[in-house]
Amino acid sequence: MAEKEIPILEVKGLKTYFTTKKGTSKPVDGIDFVLNKGETLGIVGESGCGKSMTSLSILRLIPSPSGKIAGGSILFKGKDLVKLPESEMRKVRGNDISMIFQEPMTSLNPVIPVGEQIAEAIRLHQNLGKKAAWEKSVEMLRLVGIPSPEKRAKQEPFQLSGGMRQRVMIAMALACSPEILIADEPTTALDVTIQAQILEIIKNLQKQLGMGVIMITHDLGVVAETCDQVVVMYAGNIVEHTSSKELFANPKHPYTQGLLASLPNITEDVEELRTIEGTIPSPYNLPKGCRFSSRCPHSKDICSERNPELFEVSDDTKVRCWIYSDNWNNQSKREEECLNEKHS
Amino acid sequence: MKSIAERKVLLQVNNIKQHFTVKNDALFKPKTVVKAVDGISFELYEGETLSIVGESGCGKSTTGRAILRLDEPSAGEIYFGGENLLTVKKKDMRKLRGDLQVIFQDPFASLNPRQKVKQILNEAMATQKSVVKEKRPERMKELLEYVGLPLESLERYPHEFSGGQRQRIGIARALAVHPKLIICDEAVSALDVSIQAQILNLLKQLQRQFNLTFLFISHDLSVVRHVSDRVMVMYLGKIVEIADKKSLFDKPMHPYTHALLSSIPVPDPTIKHERIILKGDVPSPINPPKGCRFHTRCPFATDLCQETEPELRELEKGHFVSCHMVEKI
Repeated sequence: MAEKEIPILEVKGLKTYFTTKKGTSKPVDGIDFVLNKGETLGIVGESGCGKSMTSLSILRLIPSPSGKIAGGSILFKGKDLVKLPESEMRKVRGNDISMIFQEPMTSLNPVIPVGEQIAEAIRLHQNLGKKAAWEKSVEMLRLVGIPSPEKRAKQEPFQLSGGMRQRVMIAMALACSPEILIADEPTTALDVTIQAQILEIIKNLQKQLGMGVIMITHDLGVVAETCDQVVVMYAGNIVEHTSSKELFANPKHPYTQGLLASLPNITEDVEELRTIEGTIPSPYNLPKGCRFSSRCPHSKDICSERNPELFEVSDDTKVRCWIYSDNWNNQSKREEECLNEKHS
Repeated sequence: MKSIAERKVLLQVNNIKQHFTVKNDALFKPKTVVKAVDGISFELYEGETLSIVGESGCGKSTTGRAILRLDEPSAGEIYFGGENLLTVKKKDMRKLRGDLQVIFQDPFASLNPRQKVKQILNEAMATQKSVVKEKRPERMKELLEYVGLPLESLERYPHEFSGGQRQRIGIARALAVHPKLIICDEAVSALDVSIQAQILNLLKQLQRQFNLTFLFISHDLSVVRHVSDRVMVMYLGKIVEIADKKSLFDKPMHPYTHALLSSIPVPDPTIKHERIILKGDVPSPINPPKGCRFHTRCPFATDLCQETEPELRELEKGHFVSCHMVEKI
């Protein structure tokens, strides 16, 4: 892991809200994290936890006018992206920070040859001529392991397989040697053998180019294979922020514990899987206290009253749970006393 | 699980083929044929869960659909309770579908958005004439209880439910007609892990309760490992390996199964396992490679593999593999 130098990305108290007829929804509600050079940060969580909205917020791609960044800052090498004018922001996208989406077919233009699409990005950001840009684009296709790239560059997206399209997306994202790559579920639509290839490519290129990667995924297996630090999100909050090793060896938050326990195991047989009862709260109607309290097996009075802060448990681990506060044991004692009184 | 000799065969599939003709632009060009499933045979025992795994395009879903005759198979026989499903009349097939039910991947696409849960369940029972009208309300309550949904659900529409709950409705609908065999086509793939675990537990519990047989189609090997008794691996329309779960996961024999198992990301960063990364993509089923279909990506391929198609051989009791090189690897 990288030493604590100047981070390339620092997200502070980021809030993204949507105003619709139904009210205000808060898919991202005050999150902080730091990404260092050459490091991979995983953002995990289930659907609706706000992980994709976080990444779209960083690139300021949230659908407007319903959605907007309601607070916080996103510092890219000290520059606040939230305050940047649109024209400046456009220079950042694809050049300094680029993104790979889950479904390559919907993010590629279906009627333009793929090589042309990559060359377009290069021409826009790097002032290269048409021919030089095309050559660079073929070079990028070769880099991501597409066989006979000269031929493939002239083909349209529908002529390529799913894995190859995703490789084209990666080639496009990396064409301008960005400092940060955001990969939003990059392998979810792919088969496992192809997934293994793609993850390998991202890892190798990261080593070569020294970029920071934000890996957004719901697959804890992918996290374990690729990430240095992990942020676990639940209903718009970060509930646990720790190193990847620590997360799997010693999950702290009850949600993380439940998530890990509900994974079917590939090496062991269990009769029944552990589950997390209930479902996630609606982002329009978030509970007053801890957002996980209604599903939490350890929930106490305080949990449904106040949302806990991120408690620092150790140097690199922060957990949003009252269990790790000093009050927790007192609270337990008080409840026990109450019970005893009732009994007597 | 009982030993093989004691178990009763519920469904016998003999050499089914599913070839689709693709439209050609040119008038006189020969028609292109996609060989989605190309001659596979297996049997399904009563009360067991057999999983079919493989990557997209290997023919696993097509196999499930062929058994239900949702697509008419091009050749082969499927015996269910002594009858060949492929020769019975369409009208009789409808009756038989009462015993053979299916749960699809996307519960939203497979439930009518304009019907209340009550109507959805009622329609299943009415079509099959399995429950007389007077008894249906009672049966509905019973079904909701089995799948763990509140009673008020009957008056609600599919869009009012979450993904996991919708999948429960799909399961209730399949159960409504007292089936013997349920084909689960990627039934939990669209769900989040915590919800997926709930549904998997539910399926297991229902299987015990009603002695159901499952044909479980999935691409997720860890889910397959959890639910199955036996596992069948398919590649480009062919079975490459079929075995007991334990034997397949502990001792995979086919190079493709090896690669498939090693590609799964393990949720434990301390385990550094050796990964076999296959080169290239799955070839197109329009023009599958000659000989062994896997030879284009196989690290052990020889001249023999390019020429002759390997047969499915029983190398250990109940463990079938189709590979020429298996003894030499």
